[in-house]
Amino acid sequence: MDDNNIQILIEEVWRKAQDSAFPGSFQVKMLQCESVVDRNFEEVTSTEIKFKPPLYRQRYQFVKDLVDQHEPKKVADLGCGDTSLLWMLKFHKCLELLVGVDTNEEKLRRKEYKLSPLVGDYLKPRERTLTVTLYHGSAVERDSRLLGFDLITCIELIEHLDSEDLATFPKVVFGFLSPAMVVISTPNSEFNPLFPAVTLRDSDHRFEWNRMQFQTWALDVANLYNYSVEFTGVGEPPAGAENVGYCTQIGIFRKNMAKAAELCVPEQHGEHVYKVVFTATYPSLQQEKYRQYAVVNEVISQVYDMRRDLLERLKLQDDRDFADTSADAGTSEAPCQCFQPVLTRFSANMEKTPKPFCVGNVFYVPLERLFSLPKVKHLCINIEMLKTLIADTVMLNSDGSAVMVDIHDEDNDD
Amino acid sequence: MSGRARVRARGIACRPSTPEIGRTQASPSPASVDVSDKDTPSSSGYMGTSRISQKNKDGVSSGDVGCTFLGRGGRIRREFMDLGACTREKLAHVRDCKTGSSGIPVKLVTNLFNLDLPQDWQLYQYYVTYIPDLESRRLRIALLYSHSELFNKAKVFDGAILFLLEKLEEKVTELSSETQRGETVKIVITLTRELPSSSPVCFQVFSIIFKKILKKLSMYQIGRNYYNPSEPVEIPQYKLTLWPGYSVSVSQFESSLLFSADVCYKVLRSETVLEFMTDLYHKTGLSSFTQACEKELLGLIVLTRYNNKTYRIDDIDWSVRPTHTFQKRDGAEISYVDYYKQQYDITLSDLNQPVLVSLLKSKRNDNTEARIAHLIPELCFLTGLTSQAISDFQLMKALAEVTHLSPLGRQQRLARLADDIQRNKDARFELETWGLHFGCQMSLTGRIVPLEKILMQDQVCQPMSAADWSKDVRTCKILSAPSLNKWLIICNNRAEHVNESFLNCLRRVGSSMGFNVDYPKMIKVQEDPAAFLRAIQQHVDADVQLVMCILSSNQKSYYDSIKKYMSSDCPVPSQCVLTRTLNKQGMMMSVATKIAMQMTCKLGGELWAVEIPLKSLMVVGIDVCKDALNKEMAVVGFVASINTRITRWYSRCILQRTTTNVADCLKVLMIGALNKWYQYNHGLPARIIVYRDGVGDGQLKTLIEYEVPQLLSSVAESSSNTSSKLSVIVVRKKCVPRFFMEMNRTLQNPPLGTVVDSEATRPDWYDFYLISQVAHQGTVNPTYYNVIYDNNGLKPDHMQRLTFKLCHLYYNWSGLIRIPAPCQYAHKLTFLVAQSIHKEPSLELANSLFYL
Repeated sequence: MDDNNIQILIEEVWRKAQDSAFPGSFQVKMLQCESVVDRNFEEVTSTEIKFKPPLYRQRYQFVKDLVDQHEPKKVADLGCGDTSLLWMLKFHKCLELLVGVDTNEEKLRRKEYKLSPLVGDYLKPRERTLTVTLYHGSAVERDSRLLGFDLITCIELIEHLDSEDLATFPKVVFGFLSPAMVVISTPNSEFNPLFPAVTLRDSDHRFEWNRMQFQTWALDVANLYNYSVEFTGVGEPPAGAENVGYCTQIGIFRKNMAKAAELCVPEQHGEHVYKVVFTATYPSLQQEKYRQYAVVNEVISQVYDMRRDLLERLKLQDDRDFADTSADAGTSEAPCQCFQPVLTRFSANMEKTPKPFCVGNVFYVPLERLFSLPKVKHLCINIEMLKTLIADTVMLNSDGSAVMVDIHDEDNDD
Repeated sequence: MSGRARVRARGIACRPSTPEIGRTQASPSPASVDVSDKDTPSSSGYMGTSRISQKNKDGVSSGDVGCTFLGRGGRIRREFMDLGACTREKLAHVRDCKTGSSGIPVKLVTNLFNLDLPQDWQLYQYYVTYIPDLESRRLRIALLYSHSELFNKAKVFDGAILFLLEKLEEKVTELSSETQRGETVKIVITLTRELPSSSPVCFQVFSIIFKKILKKLSMYQIGRNYYNPSEPVEIPQYKLTLWPGYSVSVSQFESSLLFSADVCYKVLRSETVLEFMTDLYHKTGLSSFTQACEKELLGLIVLTRYNNKTYRIDDIDWSVRPTHTFQKRDGAEISYVDYYKQQYDITLSDLNQPVLVSLLKSKRNDNTEARIAHLIPELCFLTGLTSQAISDFQLMKALAEVTHLSPLGRQQRLARLADDIQRNKDARFELETWGLHFGCQMSLTGRIVPLEKILMQDQVCQPMSAADWSKDVRTCKILSAPSLNKWLIICNNRAEHVNESFLNCLRRVGSSMGFNVDYPKMIKVQEDPAAFLRAIQQHVDADVQLVMCILSSNQKSYYDSIKKYMSSDCPVPSQCVLTRTLNKQGMMMSVATKIAMQMTCKLGGELWAVEIPLKSLMVVGIDVCKDALNKEMAVVGFVASINTRITRWYSRCILQRTTTNVADCLKVLMIGALNKWYQYNHGLPARIIVYRDGVGDGQLKTLIEYEVPQLLSSVAESSSNTSSKLSVIVVRKKCVPRFFMEMNRTLQNPPLGTVVDSEATRPDWYDFYLISQVAHQGTVNPTYYNVIYDNNGLKPDHMQRLTFKLCHLYYNWSGLIRIPAPCQYAHKLTFLVAQSIHKEPSLELANSLFYL
């Protein structure tokens, strides 16, 4: 019944299909492996372990919750695979920069348009500008464009790194990129015995750590680069096996606020080793153009609404004069039992402002009144700004204090 | 698909065909506005691979037409199917040359661009199978693409059919892949065809290439066209946003492969359903709000803000609120508010709004229970224009101001697109990969055929402008008119004072044009349709020649009930006039003139003629459209000339049960027309030329195989010795090319009578373009003619000029129209039947243009 669930279902099917075909990407293979695991359970034991929602979704949800909680502006996902996590994150209003990095360019390319702005994003622009960029590159290469991030996630990434890369990885992510927060997830090998006949969960995994191994590594890294780390996970173990811990173990690293480090804004010099595969900037009200559209649209549609109201009142008046008795049925309306639209038009504030008026055949709406509209007020700092934004598209009276329109549309000579 | 059909039907219904009384709008609009917003992208990129494989197993190496490579959209581009019909090779007289020579040459700029390919360019088509067979198209594609053999090769693959620019070494290539599950899959790639660049299959591949390119240029695909969302045109007073865009295609034209582009606009509504409802609430008040809401919204297509999907509103559930919960697929209960907050970080502002209900179409056609989707009005944008909006003159005018681009404006946009394609690095790379070179804009030479003289009763008139000669012929007498002695005017009580002056005016203009109008019998009735009908029943007898009804409102029900009764139950010509039309200040004379002309035609009169050199020629117009009430019924209109001057017409309409727009009753109609001709001319016509309108993309073959034989056999049957010669011409009001004329360093629409029969035509067809309409605003749309059958053997020159002459003969408009008059008559007739009367009009009326 819910369309998104359907969509999710379809995505899952596709993902499963696809993942099996592409060795060599960071994280997504893991998903495939899990789906095998899930299926095995369904087939073999049918009750024992079945993650609901699926484990990969739990991991994504974990990141999403974190974003909800901390409202970072710049987020990067290393080993973003088919960009599913980025797609989930792009809806967050706090985001201004969302970056995905993966070594599999073909895969990035095939899903890139999923991250493009939608029709709705143009019709109702976001508050803040969001830029989404996908890079072809690796988590062990330094690219200065990833400096100064609030959050970098490495979901099911490190277990794909060989020992050399694993040694470089902290130097790059913590030492060089040095974001305010890092999230690293990796399989917990203690959970593996619960799966039938699985040694490593994926053939591309170089290792799978138990909790001790991961935490030791993480603490060392945190110490070295002045982060604090907290451990958690997703994928609850089944009853009776609680001691093995989460199926996926997660470390959340927070940078210790050292005064000097924070103050020095990372310089955008130097290394651009990643290749841009895709980039899109979402329209937003921060952009002059879209703010102007929004203001003009709101002003004009309100002016025309006010004009229509006036004309209707006049017409009603006419009819009444004509029908001499004022038996208007409209006044005895029953209280609405179902739906009553929220009335935004006649707020108390607005009532205090000068009313629209008519001179001859011209209808005037004072800017002051328009400025009292909540939506307009939200978009413009002051009346001057309102005036500048609409000056090109609407007609203002001589002292620039009111919008003018003809009271009647020009004769439609049909 | 059903949405598309609906749109098309509505498009026909709403189009102001040609100017007529009450709508003195003189620009038969060359709008390229895609006002129907029905085909916003639906992400159903999936198509059953099994279907494809079946198709291919049967007909791998059959002709081009058999191959239906589906693009990612899963839609076959139907116009490519038409290209398989090679009609020209059967027409001996135009096999070598189909161009005319008369007229003044004129240099024209087109919207076509050269697309150069190397001489020996070929495309290799492979068929790909998987062992074991794989259901998932994604998986098929992923497996194939992961093979190094195919890396960096120019390729297009839909899951079953693979196109490569470079031939693989072997005819059959076997590859092996391993899925993550450890299964080994064998991929067999078999060469099935080598395609030259002129093959219609290649055009589909080119389309896919250009789709990629336009996406690289940051364009947004909606339906088939590409739009530029970053440069919207806003029309805030109507809450509309227009995205400028292009419709593009690649196809083989007369001598080369050409890329065509035209400017189009997508009309989006920047209004959510909630805003619309709130507005409606303020307009209607509470009491009638729910009904009004349902009336306005049900059936509309909405676009969801968060995932860009389109849904049809099938119902509104007033009992569900956003705070209510639903069950997610994993079984968890969650409220709509929380769901949208969690999933999309959207906070709903109105917790009292109802939900919209949409029935979801099941992807597979098994009749499992219909699933429904609940949608939140606040998160849904309205799409398309309501019929109310389309009838809003001011709104349409505002739209036209933006969308009707002048030739120069259009050219500037085209130049910009060409420039963008040539400059963009990625676009260039894509073209180079396929060995394509984007060339320059094509110019060609057209011809302006001489303008026609209008023959009136005692004078020959050379109009100042062929677009409108009403002023020129004001003082002339029309060819023939029966005098109107006994007729009725039925009106309501209030309209009396108007009628008197109108009647005087009508008699005055009538007498000056040679149409004698006596005083009618006036009948006053109450203002309701039943009263009108009663009055007609009471007062119409065998002698009544015509009934005029003066209606005070534009309501369709009045008009429909009167027309229905008067065209079948009681077959007498009828004329409906709106009081409002008669009230127009200072317009009385021109209104009366037009009404007098219509009345003359309805009585069987003739207004004017043009010089027709061919004696004994019958011209026929056929149009087919769907009935407005019953979509399973097709209305076939058939209008044939029955005198040598081509001023009198035999008009019939048949309703047939069918799902396609192909007529199967043509034999009855044609034989009927030939009998009528025989009756008047005591012989059969030497030549018959049939203009067929209302043909959709992809129907050309059916027409050739099914309709032409019907016409041929009726011609053969009606005569024992020499049968009449026959030509069949398909008329298309929409076509790809546009032509601009360079003049005084700017671009203009080419003048009336411009013919193009080279370069922009198709090599396999006997076809030409003719400009016979004026666009006061915007760019003119040429009309496209395709002669699919011809044993008349007329020279192309004569065929073109005859067609142009026939565009002068539509008696409802004293000027040129965009299609030959018989087609326009047939269209008008089918429109009346499909929209208003829904049954076959009486044969007693067939000799007059009763439907004008």
